Amino acid sequence: MRVRVECCGASGRLAGAAQLDVELPEGADVRALFARLGERSAEFAALLESCACARGDALVHRATPLADGDQLALLPPVAGG
Amino acid sequence: MSDWELNRIQSQPLSLDALLAGSARSDCGALAIFAGTVRDHHQGRAVVSLSYSAYAKLAEKLIREIEQEIAERHGVAVCRVVHRVGELAIGDTAILALARGAHRAETFAALRALVEAVKQRAPIWKEEFYADGSSAFVAGCALVTPEDAPPAESRLHCLPSHAQVETEVEEPIEILGEPY
Repeated sequence: MRVRVECCGASGRLAGAAQLDVELPEGADVRALFARLGERSAEFAALLESCACARGDALVHRATPLADGDQLALLPPVAGG
Repeated sequence: MSDWELNRIQSQPLSLDALLAGSARSDCGALAIFAGTVRDHHQGRAVVSLSYSAYAKLAEKLIREIEQEIAERHGVAVCRVVHRVGELAIGDTAILALARGAHRAETFAALRALVEAVKQRAPIWKEEFYADGSSAFVAGCALVTPEDAPPAESRLHCLPSHAQVETEVEEPIEILGEPY
């Protein structure tokens, strides 16, 4: 299956793209997605440790199962204001 | 403009009039307002501009939840926050927050808590651009779902975020509110 990941904040700069399409095995969860994304570089893997993941307008935890076509967002530590 | 129509994340210059519109209450004797503006320095470095970005779908929902939560916790009638995204120059307004309550004590407290909660929990990011041409994302607070939080942790802590060009690590700051 394939999911689309919007890379917010510093994650977009590190990924070199505002969004990534990621191929995952059926039944993969957010943890598996993060593991796959972490293969891009050690720096990206380090950032992922402090990232959250959202689907639509809700945060999803690491054990959340993903589905083909999911639109996700990678949320590094926040710093508004 | 009704409260619901007011976008919390805005790409245009923030309007105090729009924030105030429709917020007046006859049972409130206190109105407190905070404006956060872009500063020309950070940790000893000259800052020439900022860029804010947000994951708006979640930020709009979370800011509304924070407003309600803070209003209930502090016993005030109205809390509102709007946050700017895009490229901002020195002196531009990045955030406007408002609280209305019966008396000043709880209204000041609510306003402060409101601003802190939005800074620490809303999915918004700040990149600073320095006079020497470099830039960095400002260290922030990690968002953690209850399911992913370490069991022993009763409170979350801000974690140093990744600095893109030149790393600047701020001291951890405790989040005083409920774990998110």
